[in-house]
Amino acid sequence: MEQLLVPVLCKVDKIIDETPDIRTYRLKMNDPARMESFSWMPGQFVEFSLLGHGECTFCISSSSTRQGYFDCSIKRAGIVTADIHSQLEEGMDVGIRGPYGNWFPIDDIKGKNLLFVGGGIGLAPLRSLIQYCIDNRKDYKDFTILYGARTSSDLCYKEEIEEWQKNPSLKVILTIDKPEETWKDNVGVVPKILEEVVKPKTENTKVITCGPPIMIKYTLISLDKLGFSPSDVITTLEMKMQCGLGKCGRCNIGSTYVCKDGPVFTYAQLKSLPDEF
Amino acid sequence: MNVFLVETDKTGLQKFYEEIIGKFETYAPVEKFGKYDYKRVLKLSECNPDSPIETTMSVKPLFFPKTAKIMKFVEDSSGTTVSETEEDPFAGKRVILGVKHCDARGLQVLDQVYKWDYIDTDYQKRRENTIIISARCDKAGAQCFCTSLDYDVENSDAHDIRIVNGLNGKTYIQAITEKGETLLKSFSLQSTAPDVAKDEISKHYKSFEASFRLKMNYSEVNAKLQKLFDSPEFETVSSNCISCNTCAFICPTCHCFKISDEKIKDAGVRYKSYDSCNNGYFTLMAGGHNPRPVKYRRWRQRAMHKFVYYKERFGVNLCVGCGHCAISCPVNISIFDVVNQVAKV
Repeated sequence: MEQLLVPVLCKVDKIIDETPDIRTYRLKMNDPARMESFSWMPGQFVEFSLLGHGECTFCISSSSTRQGYFDCSIKRAGIVTADIHSQLEEGMDVGIRGPYGNWFPIDDIKGKNLLFVGGGIGLAPLRSLIQYCIDNRKDYKDFTILYGARTSSDLCYKEEIEEWQKNPSLKVILTIDKPEETWKDNVGVVPKILEEVVKPKTENTKVITCGPPIMIKYTLISLDKLGFSPSDVITTLEMKMQCGLGKCGRCNIGSTYVCKDGPVFTYAQLKSLPDEF
Repeated sequence: MNVFLVETDKTGLQKFYEEIIGKFETYAPVEKFGKYDYKRVLKLSECNPDSPIETTMSVKPLFFPKTAKIMKFVEDSSGTTVSETEEDPFAGKRVILGVKHCDARGLQVLDQVYKWDYIDTDYQKRRENTIIISARCDKAGAQCFCTSLDYDVENSDAHDIRIVNGLNGKTYIQAITEKGETLLKSFSLQSTAPDVAKDEISKHYKSFEASFRLKMNYSEVNAKLQKLFDSPEFETVSSNCISCNTCAFICPTCHCFKISDEKIKDAGVRYKSYDSCNNGYFTLMAGGHNPRPVKYRRWRQRAMHKFVYYKERFGVNLCVGCGHCAISCPVNISIFDVVNQVAKV
């Protein structure tokens, strides 16, 4: 027996098709008492297993301020995720371990203007924090969400984004990489829209960003140009993980365990790590 | 703590071993084809607690098994059931004989990663229920360098009981921990006056230390490596490596593992088994991104994890100087040479 590695069984309550290759799996623990006491912070992750196929690391994409369930949004990218997409149906059981890792610094960002910059599936971890902040709206000042994807059909959480757009206390800016006939919003990659359309003020502002590596790379350059301090830019790192417990040695960057010390880091912290992520 | 020290001779020691094997579930180095490995033994003639050469595999698998079952699972129309596997074969009370200094130190090093934050209770139980008795290390092997590292071999507390050959022909059995002392007392062994014995033990370690071929200045190597992440030497030192991972499997302190499922029809088992940072897929993510896509980067991780990162994180070096890896490496790479060559700037 390896007690630490035994998962808890959860049922897939609902599957939501987000994009052609991203689905959100809404999960409920089979033991209702356990579900009720299950609590996590925005930015934390779980080890998700389709038993017999393998275990993968996914962030929880919903906020624990919305109780009774939790979401994992999964992009079809490798072997296990392909099996999840093709074989996991509503009503089936999955194994869950967690929540693991650190979380977005919700105390540090209190009383600040929040700027979320997301790309593609990178909105998943941000969504957990966005929901959390919407549910505690009075704790935060201006609230801006910049979200982009390659095409309009690659945008996740479309219904929820419509709700955000209707919410007068949120500013939502959407963009896609190339023009489309029916698309009336911005066109252009995220860093370009950030600089030319959003033009955020740095004063009292925290930026929370997540997206594909190439987007992150250029977004960090843009934020630097706009004058943001690296300690005000927060991101969440993708690394290969297995145990989630600081034991299996997979996610090490130098002496840092991404599964324990991360996955959430400020850009200032990332700069101090060996260049190996 | 009073020093509990027994003076005896070779015959007395044999008797002591026999008594242990008779009373406890005992493991000791057993010879096969000229090589030694820790095996369960029922009589002293099967094993050699003072094997003249290192065991091929470290003592690690008795605490961190090569493959362990995490759980079983069954699927039927009502859903999935997860059940425990059979009992842990290593959880009971047991004694291990013939553990060299390096191997025992390896367990102390492993303790650090298993006890931080999430505590691995399975590992801890195996540790708590095991009494570790040292081998008589009289002479360093060709690849040994334990005395060069960040621990004091002579005053090590990694064993519960230490056995030392005096230069005067006597053998000393010394309790190092309370667990060890309780065991010695239960055998109605009488403690001897410690003065002569201590002197003899200290002489033994002086002669032991003089027998080392390999020596390094650990603090200098550690300090230099901290600044050498970008050293081009990592490419040179790793070029012969065939990525077979033998070094990681037999290493007393390598602890990376993977989790994998085996499923036949509706039932399956989830396993935890050894893995190595030298594997190309070790950090490969779905989607194709790999932070360590080439061999020298994986070797750099191996060397730096052992000599810099673990020390920084847990205060102990992740290499104990046993030389197991150098002995078994098919292309003669030695971690001793690797770190020395990189740090030789």
